[in-house]
Amino acid sequence: MRRFTWFNATSLTLGFAFLYLPMIILVIYSFNASKLVTVWAGFSTKWYGTLLQNQAFLDAAWVTIKVAVISSTIATVLGTMAAYVLVRAGRFAGRTLFSGMIYAPLVMPEVITGLSLLLLFIGIGLDRGIFTIILAHTTFAMCYVSVVVSSRLVSFDKSLEEAALDLGCSAFDAFRLVTLPIIAPAVISGWLLAFTLSLDDLVIASFTAGPSATTLPIKIFSAVRLGVSPEINALSTIMIGLVSIGVISASIISKRAAVAQQRDEQAAARTS
Amino acid sequence: MAQTVFAPWDDPTQRPLIQFKGVTKRFGEFVAIDNLTQDIYEKEFFALLGPSGCGKTTMMRMLAGFENPTEGQILLAGQDMAHVPPNQRAVNMMFQSYALFPHLTVWENIAFGLKRQKMPRHDLDERVDEMLRLTRLSKFAKRKPHQISGGQRQRVALARSLARAPKLLLLDEPLGALDKKLRQDTQFELMDIQEKTGTTFVIVTHDQEEAMTVASRVAVMDEGSIIQVATPANIYEAPNSVYVADFIGDVNIIEGAATRTAEGYDIAWAEGQPPFHAKTPVVLGNGGPAYLAIRPEKISISAEKPDDAGNTVRGRIIDIAYLGNISTYHVEIPGGTMIKAQSANTRRLSRRSFTWEDEVWLSWTDTAGIVLER
Repeated sequence: MRRFTWFNATSLTLGFAFLYLPMIILVIYSFNASKLVTVWAGFSTKWYGTLLQNQAFLDAAWVTIKVAVISSTIATVLGTMAAYVLVRAGRFAGRTLFSGMIYAPLVMPEVITGLSLLLLFIGIGLDRGIFTIILAHTTFAMCYVSVVVSSRLVSFDKSLEEAALDLGCSAFDAFRLVTLPIIAPAVISGWLLAFTLSLDDLVIASFTAGPSATTLPIKIFSAVRLGVSPEINALSTIMIGLVSIGVISASIISKRAAVAQQRDEQAAARTS
Repeated sequence: MAQTVFAPWDDPTQRPLIQFKGVTKRFGEFVAIDNLTQDIYEKEFFALLGPSGCGKTTMMRMLAGFENPTEGQILLAGQDMAHVPPNQRAVNMMFQSYALFPHLTVWENIAFGLKRQKMPRHDLDERVDEMLRLTRLSKFAKRKPHQISGGQRQRVALARSLARAPKLLLLDEPLGALDKKLRQDTQFELMDIQEKTGTTFVIVTHDQEEAMTVASRVAVMDEGSIIQVATPANIYEAPNSVYVADFIGDVNIIEGAATRTAEGYDIAWAEGQPPFHAKTPVVLGNGGPAYLAIRPEKISISAEKPDDAGNTVRGRIIDIAYLGNISTYHVEIPGGTMIKAQSANTRRLSRRSFTWEDEVWLSWTDTAGIVLER
């Protein structure tokens, strides 16, 4: 049986072209020697050089990294806690409501999340800047982390925690010494996901950013309005690289964890 | 010899290690444990036996501290255990799934509980090594749980739960997943370890053979209550109800009207048939139906009517279950009742005396059957 028919090949090519052609063009033109974006004038890495001289971009990049690291870390802590409570606490009044509310921001239009946060910050008189972006990113990244972690916790053998308690652990020690090391891969991939989401967010950041702090996506967006420069292409290429690394490592980690988990479950099935 | 028999439950001067006092456990509407009172003594190997859902696991989880009784009290060495969290009880548990920590080595798994006690490093090393030796795991100390066999994992779980030298060790279906041969070996190993360490063991199982093998006393449970507590021999030879007789081993239950005789009862089991005689000191409460319970191995099967037997009945062989060492004959007696009779295959198969459709005589003595009221 031939699985690689002409039809399959064509639809595969079209599909991937649709997805990746724009990005490939962007990456190629980031190595263009010409100042004109649409005219190819030979290979060069000079735009990467000029990028490093551009203080405004570097500042924005630094802000973005800081925001991404801090917000994804806070989101991971909060998201893991939320997931733990929702999976472990059993049935309590309003549990379904709570889990629904945690997942709602996943489908909420970003414009609405951004707008409501903006209104909140204005309402409580919080000056917009890096701090407000961190808060906003924590808010929306937290639910992604909680989804990733709770899907791992659902298959976590509860008797492992009971065994830890039985052997003299306090509830916190049982979490720290047994649960956390075992679910660590899910927590790490949750963090990477949150990091990546924060890195490329434009909508929410533009609502919550102030004049004192601008993130890279905002900077790129405003620069593009004055015309696309090869410098922007270079910057975008770097960002594509960073995001890909984040997403790929997150998926590798969770894949490996799934394999390890399967192995442990087979071990737990006690075939002698 | 009498004083060497281990039977603290018959000695009124002994104080029980565990006391259940009117314990009830409800999960919502469902009553898992129903007003249960039971003592368990030090150094006992106490088996909780029953079908799934009878409440045996709930009893164990209450001892470990994972569940609290809805009503009543559980005392451990005289101390009320209500509100004592699991991590502060001198009780350890071996879990059904073993619950070994997959990210820790065998050594670290066993040391886990000792580290929580802040045991000095030197003593800790010694204790872990002792446990490894006791369970013959020294070679596997550096391995992770997924790198050892099922039987070895079972021993790691045992070593880990024994390491803290608990007053009471709970075993939740500890041998459930081992294959039959390994399970039998491990049963003897468990008894050996229990004797060596002098720890009180409470084991939950649904395997009656396992309970009979390891336990000093067996508690047969049903629907949240203990039906009977006795030594394995008494549970088998003197069950107090049809439920227990039926749950433990094979049994023939013959229902009939009981009439009091000088030494016991006559059971009229079918129209026009002479009643079965049973010698028993038991006195039935009322004239309602009674049950005669007879173990298949206590029924002899013969071609001719034996003269000396207390009870005889003629029947036809319907089925033969050949198990190698023994055969079980299913014999239909008048009235359509099926009686199981067992005999040891002392002769080779080719010379076996009975086959299908043979007319045979079944017989048993007056003391072979037990008269039961319910």
